[in-house]
Amino acid sequence: MSNPLLVLENVSTGYFSQTVLEEINLKVYPDDFIGIIGPNGGGKTTLVKLILGLQPLFSGRIYFPVGKLRTGYLPQATQVDRSFPITVKEVVSSGLKIRNPLFPHLTSTQKTRVDQMLEDAGLAGLASRPIGELSGGQLQKTLLCRALVEKPHLLILDEPNSHVDKKFERELYGWLGELSREMAILLVSHDIGTITPMVKTIACVNHSLHYHPSNQISEEMLKVYNCPVDIIAHGPVPHRVLRVHDDE
Amino acid sequence: MMMSEFFSIFEYQFFQNAIAAAVLTSVIASMVGTYMVSRKIVFIGGGITHASFGGIGLAYYMGLNPFAGAAVFAVMTALGIEWISDKGKVREDSAIAVLWSLGMALGIIFVFITPGYTPNLMTFLFGSILSVGIPDLLLLLFFAIFLVILFLVFFRPILYTAFDPEFAKTKGIAVSLYRYMMSVVMALAIVLSIRTVGIILVLSIFTIPQITAMIFTRDFRKVIPWAAALGAFGSVAGLVAAYALDIPASAAVIFFLTIQFLIIKAFFMLTGRLLNLRLKNMFYRYKKD
Repeated sequence: MSNPLLVLENVSTGYFSQTVLEEINLKVYPDDFIGIIGPNGGGKTTLVKLILGLQPLFSGRIYFPVGKLRTGYLPQATQVDRSFPITVKEVVSSGLKIRNPLFPHLTSTQKTRVDQMLEDAGLAGLASRPIGELSGGQLQKTLLCRALVEKPHLLILDEPNSHVDKKFERELYGWLGELSREMAILLVSHDIGTITPMVKTIACVNHSLHYHPSNQISEEMLKVYNCPVDIIAHGPVPHRVLRVHDDE
Repeated sequence: MMMSEFFSIFEYQFFQNAIAAAVLTSVIASMVGTYMVSRKIVFIGGGITHASFGGIGLAYYMGLNPFAGAAVFAVMTALGIEWISDKGKVREDSAIAVLWSLGMALGIIFVFITPGYTPNLMTFLFGSILSVGIPDLLLLLFFAIFLVILFLVFFRPILYTAFDPEFAKTKGIAVSLYRYMMSVVMALAIVLSIRTVGIILVLSIFTIPQITAMIFTRDFRKVIPWAAALGAFGSVAGLVAAYALDIPASAAVIFFLTIQFLIIKAFFMLTGRLLNLRLKNMFYRYKKD
């Protein structure tokens, strides 16, 4: 097995003096596709921010055994202000690291990379549109391009399927399947029924973290690890499967 | 009034200075105002503006330059508000309201207890664009040049930290540094503009041309030159109207900027609707065929 990209060792974090995540251990390998599930308020987004270096470390250690980690981050849709006067192309460009802080302009190779990215995603026609004019799906696509433009080692997606229609959701999962061959992916979702067929492994986050080295989820597992999440099944008619009655 | 008599106003030094001040203020406000409007922090601008009155009062009391006092208070307020919103421990809007009214209160107290000559408060509240001198103009010019260079060189980090600071941090941008820097820039821009339009009206020159520009374009890069042009045009028109109608200059400027916004907005709404109607007609005709 190759070296992990990222190791979290007995990590705790939180806000002010309140601990949200305690004693977390997680290793992310280059070919991982990890689904992060858990109840609202359980610390899923906090875990993501911790990995991205946006969250202070209370205790423990985070390190990158194979050197500097390039991350691509797709935040929750609510983080982005859609009325901000900025174009699709500018948003995608913002995914590129500034090479020289005293001359923070795009290099010509970076410009070509942005155009290529927009072309590949089918967004070239929308490049000069302000983001306020996009549909929910187009905006998510733009933000996904921003995350991918620098060819990250690790792609982190926080609830990418909220605020988008079902058609886009299917498309998105198609891309993620392809992308998972090129990079490690961490996919945060409350909708575990949809993500479980795709991901390779599952981490359940609820104040602590429990890693399940497969994508099979059983009720026992959820109970044992104290993961109070709903299992939702999708079919031709939206429906919810309830427990079999004891007398049946 | 004869036509020639009317245009003779442009020959007066004070009027030329006023026009130069209006144009330079518009250029300064175009950059800083676009940042403020885009980030939805115009209210912070209001806090900075009014808090600076405390500095004006204190400077008078101590016999110093009132605008230097205003600058110190404005920068301190701006940094304080940015710090509060960064730490998130106090509600930001409440903190702004406190600094806003505290600044005004301090200003009034200091001016009141200053012995002897009491300065004309109206000058600070409503500006005195018609008495702008060459040193004022030079100060405005240098600051405008500084801002143009700042925005040309650091355009990307300024834009990205305004748009999505969390994401910008993941790309290694020193977000806090840029935010604090822009706070100081905002404070200085506001204080310099108080000279022209006064405390009560200064926010409008940082807002109205920008929202007018956003009717034409929703690209940060293009909003700035549009806002500069619209601000300059509206404020020069306001100055001329102030002379022709014999009304206070700074109020006329703001009034003209607002009228300009309303006319352009109405024009776009009307033509937009006509265009929609025509497209619909074309569609129905196509369907009939």
